[in-house]
Amino acid sequence: MKKIIIVLIIFIFLSGCTNNSIKNEVNVLNWSSYIPYQVITDFQNETGIKVNYGTYSSNEELLAKISSSKEGTYDLIFPSDYMIELMISKNMLDKIDTFRIYNINNINPLFLNQEFDMFNEYSLPFLAATSVLCVNREHIKDNIVKYNDLLNPKYKNNIVLLDDQRIVIGMALQANGYKMNETNEDALNKAKNWLLNINPNVKAFDSDSPKTLLITNEVDIGVIWNAEATIAKSYNDNIEIIYPSDGFAISLDNYAIVKGAKNKLNAYRFIDYLLRDDVQQKIIEEYPYINTTINNMNLSYEELNYILEHGSYVKNIGFNISKYDKVWAQIK
Amino acid sequence: MKENNKAFKLLFLLPVIVYTLLLILLPLVYVLFLSFCKSDSYGGIVYEFTLSNYLNIFDSTYLNIFFKSVSIALITTFICILISYPFAIILRKRNIHIKNLITKLIMLPFLTNSLIRTYGWIILLRKSGIINSGLIGMGIIKTPMSLMYNRFGIIVGMVYTLLPFMLLPICSSVFEIDNNIIDAAKDLGASKLQIFFKIILPQTISGVFNGSLMVFIPAIGFFFITDILGGGKIMIIGNLIKNQFLTARNWPFGSAIAIFLIIITFLLVKLYRKLGGKLDDLGGF
Repeated sequence: MKKIIIVLIIFIFLSGCTNNSIKNEVNVLNWSSYIPYQVITDFQNETGIKVNYGTYSSNEELLAKISSSKEGTYDLIFPSDYMIELMISKNMLDKIDTFRIYNINNINPLFLNQEFDMFNEYSLPFLAATSVLCVNREHIKDNIVKYNDLLNPKYKNNIVLLDDQRIVIGMALQANGYKMNETNEDALNKAKNWLLNINPNVKAFDSDSPKTLLITNEVDIGVIWNAEATIAKSYNDNIEIIYPSDGFAISLDNYAIVKGAKNKLNAYRFIDYLLRDDVQQKIIEEYPYINTTINNMNLSYEELNYILEHGSYVKNIGFNISKYDKVWAQIK
Repeated sequence: MKENNKAFKLLFLLPVIVYTLLLILLPLVYVLFLSFCKSDSYGGIVYEFTLSNYLNIFDSTYLNIFFKSVSIALITTFICILISYPFAIILRKRNIHIKNLITKLIMLPFLTNSLIRTYGWIILLRKSGIINSGLIGMGIIKTPMSLMYNRFGIIVGMVYTLLPFMLLPICSSVFEIDNNIIDAAKDLGASKLQIFFKIILPQTISGVFNGSLMVFIPAIGFFFITDILGGGKIMIIGNLIKNQFLTARNWPFGSAIAIFLIIITFLLVKLYRKLGGKLDDLGGF
């Protein structure tokens, strides 16, 4: 018995010891599939800075992780547009010292000075995504340019939509001529009825891998994220990518430094590294979202201008989210 | 020495006690606490007392989801009984080695994660999947059937995942029937139907109810099956709770629904005990 107690006591004392020496590391929290693993190991080998890399799958999860952990736990995060706005208002971000980022001029100015952070004090663009309409032209020859075209009963069980209430309800609002972030009851009611109309045509709501349904010919039409659409097209060249005329969602993910970050300098070095042309090249090869640097543009200036002009950001709508949630529960 | 022994036992029990308190009881108490709080518009929690989360559950939209979940869970339970009962009756007369082998085979899929097994069903059920292309290849059907992304797919997934929970209790109750009693009934001139209704059914009904409980309750909450095999088109209570925590950012409401579900579970367990079931048969509480 005595021996056991002694062992236990030693164990407890030992577990209290922590390594207090300063570590050369950076704590990064990013979306689950945004940066290839190779890029992170290359950075570690090149700089000797250890990257503690964690992931999240929604902005809300990121918010929960940051607000529930001790200040200084994380250094670099990648929130989307509306989450930047929200985090600034909750005083969760530190200003970015752009002088420390040598490759800052690689950023495409088109993506700077967006409404959620007008002077890029707290954020710098990392990559952009839009929702797009995909049509498999091998099976569907009709002219499809707007969301209302999808109501055709011919397309029964032939559409995949994102399993995302803001994007799908936003699309229904746009189809009815409203703005994407409308919270007016009448508008939401119309959106609900529109979604009930399209429901027989919808085969599945899928956010994880909607491209699979298009690639396996399960459906011929989809409203999905552009990177998914690009990958689907690489498997099946008959897939046409269309920007709907009534509008579409755009989402811009950004570099941001968490308030009280302990390894700021390393975070800047990581941002700097990610902005390098050869690294950007590796990133878009694996994850073909819209690139936000000048030398690796995967869309023309014309297209980018069109997207930024006609796309709508999903905005934080506060308590009104419960109205959206109710509509979502009613159509399912 | 005896005292010492007790302390020793406690030392070994300690991890289990700490585990239960820290990882099961504490979170549950926190969920109960949350369910009476308000939420702020960012998804944060405002520590003010309110009952509105519970009142909100009785909105027709959410009640509708409750009924949908219950109907799916009931159908699942019913199909599980239909498969398990005859299976157990047939297996009863086989020798002990076959029984053991079959029971082990039933347990085998449990070694793989249920999420992965559910993804496996996609390969079988989709339009270009093995079943459809096989049937088309054999000339039995011309156009592929819709086997998933609908209610059918959900039920297949639920029955598949939950069947062992029905099979095992029914098998154990059926195997326990004493052959002598059945022989005696035969000698006294009972018909096959009479034997079933007067002897087999009363002795196995607790196994059926036990299995039903273990199938019905998880079936209400298995949101990944409706998401994967139902194509996210049908929402059950599990999805509703998940949404409150992830997208709608309303943790208090999500907690209230979770507590409501726990209350229903307790009521069902109570009903089970009233009908003569033993808690030990449910795996012990």
